[in-house]
Amino acid sequence: MEYAEILNDFLSDFIDPKKRIFVGYLGLSLIIAYAWLIAVRNNTLKAAHAQIFNRKVFFSKSARIDYQLFFINRIFSLLISPLLVTQIVIATFIFYELHRQNIFHSGQFSNSNKTFVVAFFSMSMFIVDDFTKYFLHRWMHHWPILWAFHKVHHSAETMTPITVYRVHPAEGILYGLRSAVAQGTVISTFVFVFGNIVDLFTIVGVNILVFFFHMAGSNLRHSHISIGYWKFLEHVFISPAQHQLHHSVAEEHHDKNFGAALAIWDWLFGSLHLSETERSITYGLGENDSGPKTIGYMYIKPFVDVTRILVAFFKKTKKKPFKPRFRPLVSDGESAGSAPPES
Amino acid sequence: MLKNTLKYSTVIGALVLPMSLVHAGGHSASYGPFPVTLQGYSGNKDNSVSYSGQVARHVLHDSLKVLAGRGNGGGNSASLKAEMLSYFSGSDKNKAILAPLTKGEFVIKQGTLDEISSGKNIEGKFYNGAMMAWPGSMKGRDVALHMIDRASIANKGVDAENGYNWPQLISKFTMGAMAYSQAVDNYLDEKLEANTKPNNKPYKDGAPYTGKEHVWDEGFGYFGAAAHTLSLTADQAYGIAKRKDMASADANGDGVVDLKSEMVFGPAYYAAAFDRSGTKSTSYLKTIMQAYFDGRQLISSAKGAVLTNVERSSLKAHASTIESNWEQVLAEAVFKYAGSAYKDINKMQEDGADEAKAYKGYVKHWGELKGFSMALQSGRNNLGETAGTMNDLILFGPVTLDNSYVTSVTSSGDFKREKRMTWNDYQLQLLKVQQLMVDKFSVTSRVNDQLADLGALAKMLGDQSNAETD
Repeated sequence: MEYAEILNDFLSDFIDPKKRIFVGYLGLSLIIAYAWLIAVRNNTLKAAHAQIFNRKVFFSKSARIDYQLFFINRIFSLLISPLLVTQIVIATFIFYELHRQNIFHSGQFSNSNKTFVVAFFSMSMFIVDDFTKYFLHRWMHHWPILWAFHKVHHSAETMTPITVYRVHPAEGILYGLRSAVAQGTVISTFVFVFGNIVDLFTIVGVNILVFFFHMAGSNLRHSHISIGYWKFLEHVFISPAQHQLHHSVAEEHHDKNFGAALAIWDWLFGSLHLSETERSITYGLGENDSGPKTIGYMYIKPFVDVTRILVAFFKKTKKKPFKPRFRPLVSDGESAGSAPPES
Repeated sequence: MLKNTLKYSTVIGALVLPMSLVHAGGHSASYGPFPVTLQGYSGNKDNSVSYSGQVARHVLHDSLKVLAGRGNGGGNSASLKAEMLSYFSGSDKNKAILAPLTKGEFVIKQGTLDEISSGKNIEGKFYNGAMMAWPGSMKGRDVALHMIDRASIANKGVDAENGYNWPQLISKFTMGAMAYSQAVDNYLDEKLEANTKPNNKPYKDGAPYTGKEHVWDEGFGYFGAAAHTLSLTADQAYGIAKRKDMASADANGDGVVDLKSEMVFGPAYYAAAFDRSGTKSTSYLKTIMQAYFDGRQLISSAKGAVLTNVERSSLKAHASTIESNWEQVLAEAVFKYAGSAYKDINKMQEDGADEAKAYKGYVKHWGELKGFSMALQSGRNNLGETAGTMNDLILFGPVTLDNSYVTSVTSSGDFKREKRMTWNDYQLQLLKVQQLMVDKFSVTSRVNDQLADLGALAKMLGDQSNAETD
């Protein structure tokens, strides 16, 4: 691969509207930040400018690690992504399997109104994608082995839009697989039921709903600009301030606001926390959690943690005498029929 | 000054070089005429190209297809069967050409088969190995005769009860069992060996062509391409086969289409059809035609001498190119019609659909699918497990309106339908047929790809690498 190609690959996310850090979305986030600080927070332009381009944020040690991870993870991605199962493999598998049931037949609703189908597909794709993001994110916090990897992301002590790439490659694989399963399932189901009229409403090649999510300042989620919505709206959409609260070291904020775009999952499953824009939030893992602080440590520490978790688990299992969950029906010298009844 | 001189000389060079290359060959890039190279030939012929017997067989095939659709449900079965057999097996003279016929401005030069080549039949050149794709464990020729027998008692060539469209089945099977089989398993195979039809002797006494020249010409004739194919686009070749493009067909400008050199027949037509449709990423027609042309030119260049081992190796490489591309064309056809049958099943199940009409289309497309799958099994390559899998997936007959399908044939030639399958299950099998063609034959044109929508939507949504997290 030529150097130019490598550089182009590194920077491709900035010119790809499917990615959150697309320059257009970054620019719009910037405008939203200015508008918020000036119109809502009554700052002067100069003060807003100073607050947005805060050197202590963008040149902090935490942010510098984010930038390094952004580049190093691209290399991991180049190596790993060809090995991952793709959405087309999953879609094909599910499409085949759908032929094994006889409730619906292929193309059953292919005469439906095309606009309706395209809108339905675009909406379903967005909702299923967001829903699976919610649950995977929740599991990343709930299961110690997954948390060992997700801690890398939460170790950020200052947040910039690039913090979205502060992810351990193992977590990247999980999110990639999630995406493949979500997309593969929705695509195959829709094509099976609606046939070749299925399409996506797009703007600049992106699902219209994803586009609006990014246009609404998705990059501000990982930033120090604390924008909250009205309370009723924060039950539907996650505001930047709500996500910043998710990164808070405060115990009362732990395991809250797992949602990506929609807050309804948090609301439904009891993990919603409304924003507290007046409160100063400290990001990171807190003093009691020795989170990774260097690049090498970031990649290795999760595996050390996982090893510790597994060793502790097996030690605990070893100490307990083995008890079969069910009484064996037949034991030495004893027929099944003679087994005494359980009391 | 020097700069200008260089510029002009480059322009002149660019113009002269291609002209000299064409001239060096002594002819344009047309398959014929090629000079007589036979040493000691004393006749008055100046063209050594001859493949009219193969053209006659393409015409016999086209005519047989027409006859297969002329049954009236049994009333004319005896006479129709006799007529079909005269085209398939007979060597009687002066048979009329039933297809291709003049259509509007597309005027065909010949009206009878004798004007092309007399005394030819199909059966003598028909694949006669085992044909496990058809019920009854018959050999290739017996399968064809069975089909002819059934076509003669059918109504307009269709056995709706069992799901057979005889013109399609007979035609597509013949395209492989005669044309493909003869070309790749005979003329471009053992007849290229050193001790068979050598290049320093006439093919037969008195002929103006050498052994190898005529072997290669006969192999070319079975492909069914117009001699001037290298100057045609896939669209033009397609238009000629459809009798729509007189301007492209009439290479010598005499106002009529000479079936012997200007017409495009079945195998070449399908090569062109796949090049101009689907993913439009293939060039089967040009690749095969170029290999035929280059091979012929190589033989001519030997000037009547025995071909060296190096020359024969080169010739075999061209033959291999022809065989692999032709095989892919047949696999593309299997892929296409598996997709057509899949879509037809959807149409049949649509609310308010004209089921009888949709079923008719389904039976037609299934006939093409089955015929091409049998054609694919008529070549030099033993497809082994691939053939078995393909036959198991396509079945002996299509799933019919009561969900039964043909499982066997009685000793009197009647079909028995003793199993049933749901439409969904059969559609899944058709999808697997398409996948089999991709996996085993690397088909790339992929017309009627039933998974194309999945791929297109997945592409639209983007890859999932670097999926963003929060």
